[in-house]
Amino acid sequence: MRTLAFGAVVVFGAFALAFPFLVNGYWLSVGVLAMFYAIVAASWALLAGYAGQFSFGHMAFVSLGAYTSGLLVKWFDIPIPLGMLAGVLMCGVVGSGIGFVCLRMRGPYLALFTVAFSEVLRIVIVSENEVTGGSGGLEVTPLFHARTDTPYYYLGLALLLGSLAIMQFLVTSRWGLFFRSIRENEDAAAASGVKVVRFRILAFAITSSFAGLAGGFYGHYIGILTPDIGSVDQMGLVVAMAVIGGTESIVAAMIGALGLEFLVEALRSYGQWRLVLFGALLLLTIRFARNGLLALAWQQVMRLGSRRRTRSIGQEAG
Amino acid sequence: MPGSPPLIEARDLTKRFGGIVAVSGLNFAVQQGELIGLIGPNGSGKTTTINLLTGHVTPASGHITLRGRSARGLAPSEFATLRVGRTFQITQLFSRMTVLENMLVPGLARPHSHKPAATATARRHLEFLGLAALEKLQAKNLSGGQQKLLELGRALMLDPEILFLDEPFAGVNPFLRDEIIVLVRKLHADGRTFVIVDHDIEALQRLVHRMVVMSRGEKIADGTVAEVRVNHEVLRAYAGV
Amino acid sequence: MTDYLLIQALNGLVIGVIYAVIAAGLTVIFSILKIVNFAHGEVYMMGGYFAYFAISLVGIPPLPAVLVAMMLSFAMSVLIERTLLKPLYSPTTERKGDYGILITFGISIFLRALALIIYGPYPLRPPSFWPGVLVVGGLIMTWDRVFAGGAGVAMLIALVLFMNHTPWGEALNAVSQSRESAAIVGINDQRFYMLAFGLGGALAGGAGALVGPIYSLSPSMGLLPDTQAFAIVILGGMGSVAGSIIAGLMIGVSESMFVALFPDPSRSLTYAQAFSLLILMLVLLIRPTGLLGRAHVAMD
Repeated sequence: MRTLAFGAVVVFGAFALAFPFLVNGYWLSVGVLAMFYAIVAASWALLAGYAGQFSFGHMAFVSLGAYTSGLLVKWFDIPIPLGMLAGVLMCGVVGSGIGFVCLRMRGPYLALFTVAFSEVLRIVIVSENEVTGGSGGLEVTPLFHARTDTPYYYLGLALLLGSLAIMQFLVTSRWGLFFRSIRENEDAAAASGVKVVRFRILAFAITSSFAGLAGGFYGHYIGILTPDIGSVDQMGLVVAMAVIGGTESIVAAMIGALGLEFLVEALRSYGQWRLVLFGALLLLTIRFARNGLLALAWQQVMRLGSRRRTRSIGQEAG
Repeated sequence: MPGSPPLIEARDLTKRFGGIVAVSGLNFAVQQGELIGLIGPNGSGKTTTINLLTGHVTPASGHITLRGRSARGLAPSEFATLRVGRTFQITQLFSRMTVLENMLVPGLARPHSHKPAATATARRHLEFLGLAALEKLQAKNLSGGQQKLLELGRALMLDPEILFLDEPFAGVNPFLRDEIIVLVRKLHADGRTFVIVDHDIEALQRLVHRMVVMSRGEKIADGTVAEVRVNHEVLRAYAGV
Repeated sequence: MTDYLLIQALNGLVIGVIYAVIAAGLTVIFSILKIVNFAHGEVYMMGGYFAYFAISLVGIPPLPAVLVAMMLSFAMSVLIERTLLKPLYSPTTERKGDYGILITFGISIFLRALALIIYGPYPLRPPSFWPGVLVVGGLIMTWDRVFAGGAGVAMLIALVLFMNHTPWGEALNAVSQSRESAAIVGINDQRFYMLAFGLGGALAGGAGALVGPIYSLSPSMGLLPDTQAFAIVILGGMGSVAGSIIAGLMIGVSESMFVALFPDPSRSLTYAQAFSLLILMLVLLIRPTGLLGRAHVAMD
């Protein structure tokens, strides 16, 4: 089993590295967006699936990171990496604030609050159009002056892998244990000495920062930034990606994002029906495969594997 | 130990939930090394007392001291770090985490802890509780009795000086009950202090030295098992008069 | 000037009644199914469209179309409940709270996407219930608004009567107080969950149908009323229909006044949307356990 997984990673990795040379410009741009969504979905999975905080305000942080960086670079002419860093820090701070404010809220009330927060932010961005460009959009300085999206793709890939590495490290550390204990049973976690307050705020701060990073990357790639990126429907897309992939695994959520983003584009000819399809897929997954489709597929693979083994044992014995 | 401050003490402790007074003017001191049973009819405030003395609930008035210093307003996690452990009336485990992980949460939440040492300690406690073979199982897949023992083990990971057990014998078969009594005796002999809430007065009488009785939020008796047994107030409280 | 404010206040009352109807539906769902229904706004939206198509496709006159919309909303809600909400009552379902959040959020996404496909993104305006305006002294109000307010009040009265004077309604009441004791008495029928979700949906759909001629229909029209309804339910306190009504009226009027008095008219409309969102956030901050409001620790 292990060698199979390792082999898959190698193949996948090689494909990912060679991707820009295998596809045309259109699919390359899809790849860039896929990298973006993967970071967002993975960080949401970390917050909701792993730490158990079902926040629907995640896209607000993507938006915040994007607009912060875009506006700072536009007004103060600072280098883009600095702008993106400012976006990340802004999201970390605001994320901590949200985490703090939501401390006494559990479950659906946290979800409600964060959805409201997300919409308020979007409304402010739309209303203050002199500053933000409103619904018409904000022109954001592009990161690279290249004829193709190739540099964006590799940067996105690097950011994704870096984010993944950090998140995996967190998940396997004692912090990962504490996050999960809070998800499982907050009272028991407190009685076990886990500083629940600190870790709930941390969960928000960390995951919001990743969202801000993704947002900054997105803004400086897409060139025209609109408030839609922080809309509830975008949140729904990310939720679908993470849930269909699998919310309790960062990697599964990431794969879900990559898969869905490519699927969205592959089904472009179906127009708006794609969204209906994904909505239906989301509902079916929640209803019948709560741990995500990847976990389901893995189960099936394991079952096939053990059946083959017992059959071969039977053959040997018989 | 005469002369030294109590390990944990409640003075004039009061707690209200809405219009109902759960605990009223409670004075209760626990010396180091004691083995105390806390009994009383339903609604007498026993679990609230534990919740007050472990930080899960804040008092309306009164004082709580831990090792002589005020513990008022401390969070449950702080009580845990100060080596006050507890179990819950309804077993509260980390269901989808393994038995070992359940033990490692408090183990690694302790300051200056390392994974190898904490894992070794966890395994030692699991061995003591007879759960060693179940290390890799998810907590939700344990039997009810095993879950109760795991919860005790989790509390032990705090290296607690004092342990509050909330109805450890509830819904437990006689074999497991006897096993729990043996375990508590061993832990007590090791120097840990116990306050045990339960309705199984028979089991407590076999185990504890001192019995405290509550009724309607007030302490109505506090003495040796023999003394409390013939106390009129207690009999009246249980008779529902 | 005062006439203008008075008209705004009256409009606020009408919209408050609509909010109260939506909130009442949400209350019924919450108190029986114990879930926060993120898809409620989308049922409201669908109700509006049901009425529109009942009028334009089938030729049903506008007033009965509201009833048709309510019936279709009821049916749709029951369908949703039977197919997607069943796991909430099954003992084998883990983490029912998370399930409820995810599935209702998913339903809202799905319904919005479906609406976008079927109805298109451009706003549609159904025909008026009654053309023209009502003029009383210096006060003017379109008949549509008058009708909406009146019909809304009628719906609320009908709901209260149903809950208190019919066997099904009283049973619903009992289940909402305590599922366990209701089960002991013998009320353990999954039909109650169907009824509750259907009833809640019917109210939301009816509200949507009433609002169509006034504000016109769009697939995303349910997002804001949803949050408004939540704010009202929490503010009005713990599954109390009366509380929801009062809170609904309060929020409706104050929202109107907010728009009327907002210093910057170019922004007043967009920020008006934020008004109820901010109220919701505030309410959640102050009463974080929201609808249940019970202490988490057992009393003994």
